[in-house]
Amino acid sequence: MTGIVLGVAVVFLLLNLLAGLWRIGAGPTAADRMLAVLLFGSTTVAVLLIMAEWQGDGALRTVALLFVMLATIVTLAFVGTPSDRERP
Amino acid sequence: MTIGVLVDVLLALSLVGLSLQVVTGRALFRDLVLFILFGLLIALSWARLGAPDVALAEAAIGAGLTGALMLMAYRRLAAGGAADVSPARRRPLLALPVAALAGILVAIIGLSAQGVERVPDAAGTLVLQELSATGLGNPITGVLLVFRGLDTMLEMAVLLVALLGAWAVLGAAHPGRLHQVDRETPLVSALLTTVAPVTLLIATHLLLVGTDAPGGAFQAGAVLTGCGVLLVLTGTVRPRAAAGLLTKLLAIAGLAAFALIGVSALALGRAPMTLPGMWAVYLIETAMMLSIALTMTLLFARSRALGPEQR
Repeated sequence: MTGIVLGVAVVFLLLNLLAGLWRIGAGPTAADRMLAVLLFGSTTVAVLLIMAEWQGDGALRTVALLFVMLATIVTLAFVGTPSDRERP
Repeated sequence: MTIGVLVDVLLALSLVGLSLQVVTGRALFRDLVLFILFGLLIALSWARLGAPDVALAEAAIGAGLTGALMLMAYRRLAAGGAADVSPARRRPLLALPVAALAGILVAIIGLSAQGVERVPDAAGTLVLQELSATGLGNPITGVLLVFRGLDTMLEMAVLLVALLGAWAVLGAAHPGRLHQVDRETPLVSALLTTVAPVTLLIATHLLLVGTDAPGGAFQAGAVLTGCGVLLVLTGTVRPRAAAGLLTKLLAIAGLAAFALIGVSALALGRAPMTLPGMWAVYLIETAMMLSIALTMTLLFARSRALGPEQR
């Protein structure tokens, strides 16, 4: 029973990811697209944490931890990118 | 397990859809963002396939570092006013047959793999049988350090050659041309003081658990590279024109530690590349982690060495 609930949760979160794709396609600014990436990152962390419980594989929690850390690096690399509106 | 199948199908379909978008897209930044998402989904797929080791590496390198690297490249393009250049025009007449042939190839390989029987004493099975003799709990680390130690050592050599090659083509390029994040930007320095120590902690954790659980020198090195990239991006450490002794020593540390311990086994009358004990495993792993992190950070920063900001 728990397995089914967790599986449904993973499917729901994956569908959420696909909905986020719309924002990336629509934009309109680079910041919108970057925020969608961060949303993707958070949702992926959630999926990994549920999978860790669902598949009984604790190591997936470490993968989730890594995603949280790397999201900050990608964000920092993005900060200061000339935006679509105000290009120097 | 029908819900599991549903998850797999969703993942597979979104992977194909995303890769199609990345390849055929026309807006540079959008494609770049989609590529980062592609890395995320690949990591999820590895997690789903029960390969957390690969998921760790994919998360660190595929989604994180490559993403940062591409964003930096985009930033350079945008600063030069070249980011609007649309990607090369597609050629549907060429693309469609190639796609069809590639699809047929994948289908043939997949179908023929269905009929392959399991070899009774394949390498993987032998590794799992002999693993207890190595004292390691993680079969991946066992293969990397004990069963295929020479391959791993040569991988470190490849990394060193890559660094030397980059240094050679770097020429007299002026260091510090990297487009950095302004530390005056709100939250940047706060983020740095929070995240940088945590990356060190995670890297050490991955290195230590690597002997018994998913993790190890390569994943820890990638995480440590993340820390280095953070410091480079914020200008906390700046590129230097010449590599000092410490940089050179750290760059060869992994290869040197592995080679010295491997060859010293000969002097003790054992087979070459035999590790004398768990201390050797930790020593080699630490040295490899430092070399990997230093090499990748230097490659990211396009520099020969890094040092604190000079006032």
